[in-house]
Amino acid sequence: MRVCDLMDRDIIVCYPDDSVKDVVRMMKANKFRPAIVVHESGEVWGLVSRLAVIRFYGEELEKIRAEDVMRPYNFEIDPQWPIETAIKLMRRTGFEHLIIVDPHAGPRRPIGILTSFDIVHYMSGIETGHFEQILKMPPEWTSSSP
Amino acid sequence: MIEERVMRLMRKGAITCSEETSVRDVAQIMVINSTHYCVVINQSHEVLGIISARSILKAFDRDLDQTKAEDILLPYTFTITPTTPLKEAIHLMDKRKIEHLIVVSDRPGTKAILGLLHVEDIVDKMA
Repeated sequence: MRVCDLMDRDIIVCYPDDSVKDVVRMMKANKFRPAIVVHESGEVWGLVSRLAVIRFYGEELEKIRAEDVMRPYNFEIDPQWPIETAIKLMRRTGFEHLIIVDPHAGPRRPIGILTSFDIVHYMSGIETGHFEQILKMPPEWTSSSP
Repeated sequence: MIEERVMRLMRKGAITCSEETSVRDVAQIMVINSTHYCVVINQSHEVLGIISARSILKAFDRDLDQTKAEDILLPYTFTITPTTPLKEAIHLMDKRKIEHLIVVSDRPGTKAILGLLHVEDIVDKMA
């Protein structure tokens, strides 16, 4: 299993000058995914996690910039890495999200994000779209009584 | 200005499992319910701890059917109640790097779970 098999290709990106208010709105509209901060050239600069933004609860979010909240991101995760390598990195660093960069798409261009939940999904053995099968009730529960 | 309390944003109830549940089953419970946590309780419904998506990674190279929830849970050592100030709960989340806090009753001696405070709900309120 490789990183590209499990990663989420739907990423949300923002610029360092964007306000935290805009970032939070973007997160809300995208299932509360973390936001990747990119330079104007498209290179990955950092990551704004949910825990990073809640620190500013109750403050004027329009005046705080993404750059002030983000955690700098200096790793280069190749989509072809085996999943075990990514998990080791997550365990070592304590990061819950790894940004995947494609070496062929240009310098540090983000193409996906791998979260600890993606790995839980893999460990559960449940394939996407198999929910109905798992949740199906046994026939004796559904048979109508005479 | 009135100080905001946890009760304003907490969700009642929680996804739970017992300490004997296998890690494979915990992972399935999380995926089926689309949650990033599972609260571990004992037979008396007392909270023992919480399993997050990150803590499941600890068991990745073990036998998932033999490893139990109690082997990987994060022990529940800090308390928030519905009347805890929200700012204090957020500080605790940030300090401990936890996205979910278990809310228990403020009555002394009880460890029964009332609900959870989720990071998503705080972000939602900020948006």
